[in-house]
Amino acid sequence: MKRVLVVQLARLGDLIQTKRLLLSVALPDPGGAIPEVHLLTDASLVSLARRLFPGVVCHGLCAHGPAAPGGADDPAALSRVFANRTVFAELSGLGFTRVYLLNHSGLARAVSTLFPPETVRGHFQINGQPQKDPWPALAFRFAAMRREAGINLADFWAAFAPRRVPPGVVNPPAAPKGGGLGVVLAGREARRSLPPEVMAPLAAVAASRHAAKRLVLLGLASQASAAREFIRRLPPAAGKNVADLVGKTDMAGLMREIAALDELFTPDTGAMHLAAHLGTPVTAFFLSSAWCHETGPYGEGHTVWQAVTPCAPCLESAPCAQGMACLTPFADPAMIRLAAGSGKAVLPAGLVGFRTETDALGVVCRPFAGEDSTEPARTAFRAFVAEHLGIGRGGAASAQALGQRLYLETDWMLDRFSRFGGNPQEMETT
Amino acid sequence: MNERCLARILVVLPMYGGSLPVGRYCAKALAGLGHLVETFEAPDFYGAFTAIQNLRVTAERMDYLEHAFLQTVSQALLAKVETFEPDMVLAMAQAPLTRQALKRLRRDGVATAMWFVEDHQVFTYWQAFAPYYDFFAVIQKEPFVSRLHGLGVENVLYLPMAADPDIHRPLDLTPAERRLYGSDLSFVGAGYPNRRMAFRELFEFDLKIWGSDWDGEVVLAPRIQFGGRRVSTEESVKVFGATTINLNLHSGLDPAALVPAGDFVNPRTFELAMCGAFQLVSGRELLPELFAPDEMAVFTDMPGLKEQAAHYLARPDERRAMAGRARTRALSDHTYAARMRSLLDFVADKRPGFGKTARREAGMTDLPEGLRGELSGLLGELSLPGDAGFADVVTAVRSRQGQLTELETALLFLDEWRKQYGGR
Repeated sequence: MKRVLVVQLARLGDLIQTKRLLLSVALPDPGGAIPEVHLLTDASLVSLARRLFPGVVCHGLCAHGPAAPGGADDPAALSRVFANRTVFAELSGLGFTRVYLLNHSGLARAVSTLFPPETVRGHFQINGQPQKDPWPALAFRFAAMRREAGINLADFWAAFAPRRVPPGVVNPPAAPKGGGLGVVLAGREARRSLPPEVMAPLAAVAASRHAAKRLVLLGLASQASAAREFIRRLPPAAGKNVADLVGKTDMAGLMREIAALDELFTPDTGAMHLAAHLGTPVTAFFLSSAWCHETGPYGEGHTVWQAVTPCAPCLESAPCAQGMACLTPFADPAMIRLAAGSGKAVLPAGLVGFRTETDALGVVCRPFAGEDSTEPARTAFRAFVAEHLGIGRGGAASAQALGQRLYLETDWMLDRFSRFGGNPQEMETT
Repeated sequence: MNERCLARILVVLPMYGGSLPVGRYCAKALAGLGHLVETFEAPDFYGAFTAIQNLRVTAERMDYLEHAFLQTVSQALLAKVETFEPDMVLAMAQAPLTRQALKRLRRDGVATAMWFVEDHQVFTYWQAFAPYYDFFAVIQKEPFVSRLHGLGVENVLYLPMAADPDIHRPLDLTPAERRLYGSDLSFVGAGYPNRRMAFRELFEFDLKIWGSDWDGEVVLAPRIQFGGRRVSTEESVKVFGATTINLNLHSGLDPAALVPAGDFVNPRTFELAMCGAFQLVSGRELLPELFAPDEMAVFTDMPGLKEQAAHYLARPDERRAMAGRARTRALSDHTYAARMRSLLDFVADKRPGFGKTARREAGMTDLPEGLRGELSGLLGELSLPGDAGFADVVTAVRSRQGQLTELETALLFLDEWRKQYGGR
């Protein structure tokens, strides 16, 4: 039996965004044989992965960092990481015909050494030399033009596969489920989240608009104080309906709660991707380094309020020198009126409202409120990428200009294809 | 060296030429001594160099392109140094290490050594490069050593050639191989002018000549084997073993001096001795301190060569005994491992703390005990000593080719995990 392995060692959100690739590599091959798909992820996410991706054989690795600072030198932690060798032994014996390594990290490259070099794709290491395939190498150049670029991470990863399932079948269309409004207060990066005093009035009017009987707070135990602050900021009427589940749900519980919601208010979080996976409508708030054209909710019918101040999207690792200017528009009273569904409210400057749709390339965020000055550039970018992936016909002058900018001499002149049998046409995602 | 050290050594091979196999022998010997060794494979760049030479462009352009090419190769080498973090860079003659790169290595505190296995009077470019090396090992003594000192090269070491007992060894040849490779007299090597003239005087003997660069040789043509193609090391060893008397006539550019005077002893002398093959070697000033008179038959002129050839052809027992003693001596004193040990002792004497850098001091003491136990088996497999540090083990594993075992992958993964989460 043909076996395919996908290696995704990152966090919850990235795991869920691997879905289109997992579905794509499960497509029958040209001979009609259906591959057995395996997934290697962090051990903490294996049980969730099994729920998310029935039919995929999931393996767990001790890959994520220690909870405590300095824990990387803890002998017990080191022993746990070294014990990965039993997983490696198991994987080594499975004879995968193709292994996709999605993470640009030393960890993923280390895993790649376990497999015959000709079988690995993505980020890998051969004879001690870190390498990446042409597609991720090209995509790295997109990082220098994030404002104009726009390919969802799930579509980027899906393009590692030779053929892809249509984007419309990845997640169910968003539809309310009757279980009230969910609110996720923060992701791993506090800077990418709205503070409780900004989120509370927005959530309150949205709950009112839905006539929601429940306002469910979701998050990690470490966010308990933020949850209390959020509740304190709610109007008394809304506060009565709050179900504070912060720190009280396991992954299965979180999944059950989100699956039943009418809508989820959230920053760019794993919970947001979980909602998209389940077809629960998302209203997401993207600011700081979060950019909805890269990591927005996957599927049709979701809403994203994206900060488009001149500094956005910024670098997550760099301190903010703009006094968090991208947060200001979210705190504008007009934003509350918009959240309440007022058609007359004028969107604050520095903010654009997007709805998610799908096109041939994947999920796309279309503006419905505010001025999206980068849309023409993004349209050209998507045309360029679609042609590169063999989806679109190309030919537009703006897309060709991108080709001149993004294709390098090294792409054209140096051997990138001998690993694929010497024929670029046989290579996945040239 | 007083204390045993585990050094990281980058051996820089030349793109081509006689020093190339010597560089490989050195790398193998250093690894065999338990050091962590990587080679810079300059020969892999040679194709690009020949392509530039075949461009048919103006001389100015060619000059520019050759310099640019060498800059690229040198940059590649510096990148390798940056990643591997060697304690020493050992270069062979003609290794593509520019003066700029050597200056950079000196500034960064990386010891550089050159083993100049060439005749300094023939290959004179050393004058421009020797001052940039921290250690300069040579196969000749005076006046070369004084000339180097005169240029400001302080650390000069006399390091004669050697042989590799794994490569140069007695073989059990089949009867067919004995017929193909055997003869009363043979010579393996290039057709230097003195050799061409000398061998024309040996028509009375059953002589076979092996090797390249005999083009245009009409008189000796019937004696030249395999159409004058280059013979491999493996084939050479078979010739040595199948031949009754191996001629070892040192090269000379003056056709009038058939048996040239000279000081250094060529590698063939050590290789034949290591193979346990009987040889008639042309006399050299430095030969007596390397091999005793009863270990090797020496000639200094053509009458002497012919006389001794006739003598030893008739005396198989004397041949066997002498060749046996030569092999014993070579195994004892003239291996590449012994040479590399001498070089490292010399470097360590001159440079206190060599091979004892912090990454090894850390060792594996910060690893869990069970894990250390797991690693001990791997150390032997990687030819590393028991006190090798984790970083050394990871480097050795990373240099392994192709698909790795689950244990090796687990080590690389653990290393990456520590780097990612431990701020290393």
